[in-house]
Amino acid sequence: MDELPLYSERPEWVDVVPIPQYQDVDALAPINYSEEYQDATDYFRGIVKTEEMSPRVLQLTEHIIRLNPAHYSAWQYRYRTLIALESSLEDELRLMDAFAIEFLKTYQVWHHRRLLLTALRSVDAAAAELAFIARALEADTKNYHTWSYRQWLLAHFNDEDLLWSGERAWTENLLERDVRNNSAWHHRFFFVWGSGVRKGDEDREEILRRELTFTKEKIALAPNNPSAWNYLRGVLGHTGTPYASLSPFVKPYTATSVEKIDVVDLDNPVPSEGAELPCVMALEFLADTFEQEGGSQIPKAVETWKLLANEFDTMRKKYWEYRIKEALQASEP
Amino acid sequence: MNHKEALDREEVIDFVMSCWDEDAGAFGAHPDHDAHIHSTLSAIQILIMQDALDRLDVPRVVDFILSLQQESGVFSGDSFGEIDTRFLYCAVNALSLLGQLDKLDVEKTVGYIRKCRNFDGGFGACIGAESHAAMVWVCTAALAILDRLDEIDHETLGWWLAERQLPSGGLNGRPEKLEDVCYSHWVLSSLSILNKLTWIDAEKVTAFILSAQDLEHGGIADRPGDQPDVFHTQFGVAGLSLLGYPGLNDLDPVYCMPASLIERMGLKKGWQALPRRTN
Repeated sequence: MDELPLYSERPEWVDVVPIPQYQDVDALAPINYSEEYQDATDYFRGIVKTEEMSPRVLQLTEHIIRLNPAHYSAWQYRYRTLIALESSLEDELRLMDAFAIEFLKTYQVWHHRRLLLTALRSVDAAAAELAFIARALEADTKNYHTWSYRQWLLAHFNDEDLLWSGERAWTENLLERDVRNNSAWHHRFFFVWGSGVRKGDEDREEILRRELTFTKEKIALAPNNPSAWNYLRGVLGHTGTPYASLSPFVKPYTATSVEKIDVVDLDNPVPSEGAELPCVMALEFLADTFEQEGGSQIPKAVETWKLLANEFDTMRKKYWEYRIKEALQASEP
Repeated sequence: MNHKEALDREEVIDFVMSCWDEDAGAFGAHPDHDAHIHSTLSAIQILIMQDALDRLDVPRVVDFILSLQQESGVFSGDSFGEIDTRFLYCAVNALSLLGQLDKLDVEKTVGYIRKCRNFDGGFGACIGAESHAAMVWVCTAALAILDRLDEIDHETLGWWLAERQLPSGGLNGRPEKLEDVCYSHWVLSSLSILNKLTWIDAEKVTAFILSAQDLEHGGIADRPGDQPDVFHTQFGVAGLSLLGYPGLNDLDPVYCMPASLIERMGLKKGWQALPRRTN
């Protein structure tokens, strides 16, 4: 494959005065740039100085961001050029699609898309973007910026039918494939509880029941999953529901072995076969339940915390001892 | 590590000043790079540590920093517009170091952090974002500087942070993710600010950090067996200092700078590290 000539060698760039980076500077920690990168950025500095905004600038900035996806100045200048030239932002999005998958972990890739979507002001573009984000997450299921970008998109365009309505099914599918994806659980909390009421979800009692059923099911499937238990606590806290209402569900998870049952209780799914018991998070939850109930239940909370401190979660021994001390102090007359 | 003279003072100062962006009135990451709030904070921190703050055009830098605050209270990193609580922390830290916190709209700033608090007690990079140890640290440290730690549910957040410790002894940044030495800084600094460093197993995390060293070439990596880099070396050493590792100087977990320096500047907050061991 032929190597492309440097910009300094291309006749169509001869009118630009390249500006080298280290003018009169003895760099303490000089970056070992490749000749290709140095040449390209020399010409970038050149066109920035003359404030040129032309199709060849789009070519040049694309070249630079391919070499260095974190070059925020190149991204910024590219965006401004696109707007100045009234270029098709949709075409730019498609060009960036392949790019993003390759450079997923770079903030600027997502920020650029956000600028494009904001400028496009199109719910249809946003819907297509949700599909793109879903594809990007296939490659990196917990990418922080990608998830954050998805949330921004949903809230910014705020369209129930075209955007919000598909979230639950899509997130559930992700959790089906990996029930331990904390980002997916967090996202569920976001669109169920943290971003207004979804269309069709107006009966909040029903929603609470639905979410508890869902979470219990997932805990039964994989009990030692912090995300599910955090979600459970989040839902109870958000709705002001006492922990004690879940005691029948939680108790089997604090046992040392799975109890064989004859009648399936759909409201209280038991730990799946092969689950590691007792489940530490269940013990923590149980202790918090006793503490919440207070009074005569405090000694039971203390007992449970002692189990955690001395046997089941010794890493956080000092934390459990702190809980014991606080509870005993609080219960003193 | 008590080897401040390892880098030549004049060279360091000259390099920092060469990163000054005259148009913006702040610092970029490298000569001729556009100004950014992160590199501006780094420049201020370095100049202070080299006792060369007089080289700084303080009013211009303050203007630059304040110009980055948005209506919502968050800060962008540069004129490009990317927003993140990390940039909010950089702004608060920088203004504090320059003694210019009175120029900041504190209520607006705290208000944004409050909105980033999630159902698990943690904080994310922006409103609605997942709790992440690095964001927990920037939000906690920013609140500490602003004397607004009352915005935090100390017990719930302390527990969430303690839960970052995995059976290997190492710390992760979010549930069900891998342990990484850099979280030794963010998690331990946060716990230190909340005075709850005892809530994790210090011995085990110390052992984890030390096992991530490259004993042949030096430096610390993100986890045992990987290649070391400056980033993980800094955060590994920072974590070890907070854990009381012998022979290290005290680190201020709010500013991520030498504790003695911050104390001399009258900026020390009420955090607590583990006692320094002698062997």
